[in-house]
Amino acid sequence: MLSPYGLDIIESCLTCKMRADRLFCDLPTAALQSFESIKYATAYPKGAVLFVEGQAPRGIFVLCKGRVKLSICASDGKTLILKIAEPGEVLGLSAAVSGKAYELTAETIDPCQVNFVKRDDFLRFLKEHSDACFKVAEQLSEKYNVACHEVRSLGLSHSAAEKLAKLLIEWSSKNGESMKQEPRLKLALTHEEIAQMIGTSRETVTRLFADLKKRQILQAKGSTLVIRNKAALRSLATTG
Amino acid sequence: MSQSCLDCAQRPDGIFCDLPPDALHEFDRIKSGQSYPRGTILFGEGQQARSVFLLCEGRVRLWVCSENGRRLVLHVASPGEVLGLSAVLSGRFYEVTAEALDRVQAAEIQRKDLLHFLHEHCDVCMQVVHLISEDLHEAYKRIRSVGLVRTRHNHNHNHTA
Repeated sequence: MLSPYGLDIIESCLTCKMRADRLFCDLPTAALQSFESIKYATAYPKGAVLFVEGQAPRGIFVLCKGRVKLSICASDGKTLILKIAEPGEVLGLSAAVSGKAYELTAETIDPCQVNFVKRDDFLRFLKEHSDACFKVAEQLSEKYNVACHEVRSLGLSHSAAEKLAKLLIEWSSKNGESMKQEPRLKLALTHEEIAQMIGTSRETVTRLFADLKKRQILQAKGSTLVIRNKAALRSLATTG
Repeated sequence: MSQSCLDCAQRPDGIFCDLPPDALHEFDRIKSGQSYPRGTILFGEGQQARSVFLLCEGRVRLWVCSENGRRLVLHVASPGEVLGLSAVLSGRFYEVTAEALDRVQAAEIQRKDLLHFLHEHCDVCMQVVHLISEDLHEAYKRIRSVGLVRTRHNHNHNHTA
């Protein structure tokens, strides 16, 4: 059977195996049935733009599979990558709720399955299902948490080295790696994209990586990075 | 000094202030009002978020802090605003420190009571959604304006907004 972009499309939320693990998806059956009738399951290739910062909000995009890069345009014209959204996240949520323009630009970095819901249908759905309304409040709170973290990071960090170290520590703490003596992480982004995440230039990121490898804090094994010296990296993350 | 919301002369435009009578009655029951002198820390950044604070009187400064003590003020809250809302809803930690700028009168609501209240009153929940959405909008505005971090050779340059 042909599947778009190599994805196995999940047709029904009700039978989705990931339902229980995802904040928004874990709704009571009645709500989910209602949701089924208003969603459009779509597939996108890598590099597709779901919506652009400043666009009028058409609706929400529930990310089912794949990852999406969320970026914002800073006042000096540079792009800042705010977050890499993972499956289960609802994109364009605050815009759909408030009616204001999308705050961020969403671009897929993998082939993705996305469930799109039109704004009016979504708002009606929220009015009718208080559980969903509550989950939206929870999701928005998480986003706010991330945004505050970013404000804090941008406003208070001294250097790119500090921010890169913080980012590497954060990435290495996924999948239970943080307990290991030498945690590993797979770099999902290019140096240019990492530069956009921490607000510096690609050249600086490349230089910082080379420096970390030279100092034996990091080691590259193919596309995997191994943190050889956790303590040194942590120290960099607080003092730069 | 726990005043009833029903008697409040202020009833500013905040979402919890402008509720229909039966919801307001219930809200009155779950809140506990208190007076805080100027300089009081209502909650600290990084603390487990156990309650929200509805600001009735006075102003509260909300700031974040780096490891070496540098502060960034995010917002000054005025009466009618609810503090710690998103932290409590996400069940995590307070993102900011809240410090009373004046003598403050605030109503504290415990997390479990708030969650129960929101589940019972869908329209209030929807208003909460709008509130957080506004907060998020402000945070994004801030991100856009704070701009980029300095690179290593400029790292002595101060960045507080």
